Amino acid sequence: MKKRDLISKRVKDIPPSGIRRFFDIIASMDGVISLGVGEPDFVTPWHIREAGIYSIEKGYTSYTSNYGLLELREEIARYLKVRHNLDYDPERELLVTVGVSEGVDLALRAILDPGDEVVIPDPSYVSYTSCTVLAGGVSVPVPTAIENDFKVKAQDIDKRINPRTKAILLGYPNNPTGAVMDREELLKVAEVAQRHSLVVISDEVYERLVYGVEHTCFASLPGMRERTILLGGFSKAYAMTGWRLGYAAATEEIIEAMMKIHQYTIMCAPTMAQMAAIKALKDGEAQVQEMVAEYNQRRRVMVKGLNDIGLTCFEPRGAFYTFPSIKSTGLSSDEFAERLLLEERVAVVPGSTFGQCGEGYVRCCYATSMAEIEEALERMGNFVKRHRTQ
Amino acid sequence: MVNWDKLGEEQVWALAEVKVTPQRDVGFDAIAERIYRFPEARTVYLMSGTYDLAVLVVGKTMHEVAGFVSEKLAPLEGVQGTVTHFLLKRYKEDGEIMDGEEGPKRVPIMP
Ligand SMILES: Cc1ncc(COP(=O)(O)O)c(C=O)c1O
Repeated sequence: MKKRDLISKRVKDIPPSGIRRFFDIIASMDGVISLGVGEPDFVTPWHIREAGIYSIEKGYTSYTSNYGLLELREEIARYLKVRHNLDYDPERELLVTVGVSEGVDLALRAILDPGDEVVIPDPSYVSYTSCTVLAGGVSVPVPTAIENDFKVKAQDIDKRINPRTKAILLGYPNNPTGAVMDREELLKVAEVAQRHSLVVISDEVYERLVYGVEHTCFASLPGMRERTILLGGFSKAYAMTGWRLGYAAATEEIIEAMMKIHQYTIMCAPTMAQMAAIKALKDGEAQVQEMVAEYNQRRRVMVKGLNDIGLTCFEPRGAFYTFPSIKSTGLSSDEFAERLLLEERVAVVPGSTFGQCGEGYVRCCYATSMAEIEEALERMGNFVKRHRTQ
Repeated sequence: MVNWDKLGEEQVWALAEVKVTPQRDVGFDAIAERIYRFPEARTVYLMSGTYDLAVLVVGKTMHEVAGFVSEKLAPLEGVQGTVTHFLLKRYKEDGEIMDGEEGPKRVPIMP
């Protein structure tokens, strides 16, 4: 008798993560410096943690509204008004989610019918493509390149649009490249979205981590509020990755649709995390700025260091990643990452993890101490000397 | 910031509360100087309240600290009396928490 397949075809078709094998290698080694992390090295500022502790002491241990605590939604609305001059109704146009991760999933499931296409810059954060596929959609990569500092061009998006295209999924400041889109470029993307009546899902989880440039919120562009699903979070700005909290802002119609899924799959985001997030929004600005200043120093050291050792690197203006080219070694990004780990005990993430256009690059995260960055650069310098072909 | 407890060598710290007789024209300054010139007196403050000078004394052994207090500090002219408190454990010093935080245990590779 033929053995019955236990796993759905949809899930089987999602390729396994290419970086899993690095875990096992790292676990078997001592003295590894990891530039492969994807989160702050800071601990959540104490007063935010204390608000979480206090909420537990007070016994706030029940569910909240499916939308999240109203007080938190009001704070988010206030934040979006102050920062981006955006008006969202906290009662109907905001949804508190379990991280931006859940926001991405809800947004895609809320808008896609089977076979609908989503245009996604390549390279991008890994969840976009997989969540699109899980939602029954088809992901359509748009190449980006170092020549344009890995910013996506509106004309390249335009070329990939057809009657099945439903949405554009932007993630800027970008993981893995650190690219930031400026207002002019986003206006052109907005024009494309308008012309083809597309939804724009904008993952702005790194919005606070920009260096010497302004972050433009996509929803704040003329006419875009109506077609944008703005995803924001607490993980990166407030060093709150483990709290699992984010939010979605969109029209009532879209938020209602996302909430339908959320209420059956999640119910509500963790209550203690919501209480802590209120404190973060009310009283966390000074700490955000301190952390940003610290990242910026490390960013400079890392970009200069990488260029000095022959791994050419454009200047990333956002998030906490650098994305150096490894072409001078002639290795694939996967080989580079594996051999660097085995030979010099430095962990980086192969660029190919994030899409075809990431091949030839590796992602190095600078959310780690200056001492570790300097040591890692030295080790990488030795590695490049040995492997240099050009 | 040095966490002395984590260094190998033993150190003994004590807070000596010192009651003194102030002097005409110089107040507490002259006697304070007599005390703070001793290298064993690591920190010296003039306090309001029930005693006058707070002296943080450091030595290699309890014996050494006790010897300093009873043989150097207490007999000084103008010192009326001392009360010595030995330090048992440091939790926080100069804004640094000594042993409180482990920091995040991050997953070394994350997309
Ligand atoms: C671009 C991007 N979006 C979303 C996330 C997930 O964020 P959250 O912790 O809010 O789920 C990450 C985390 O690395 C990310 O890099």
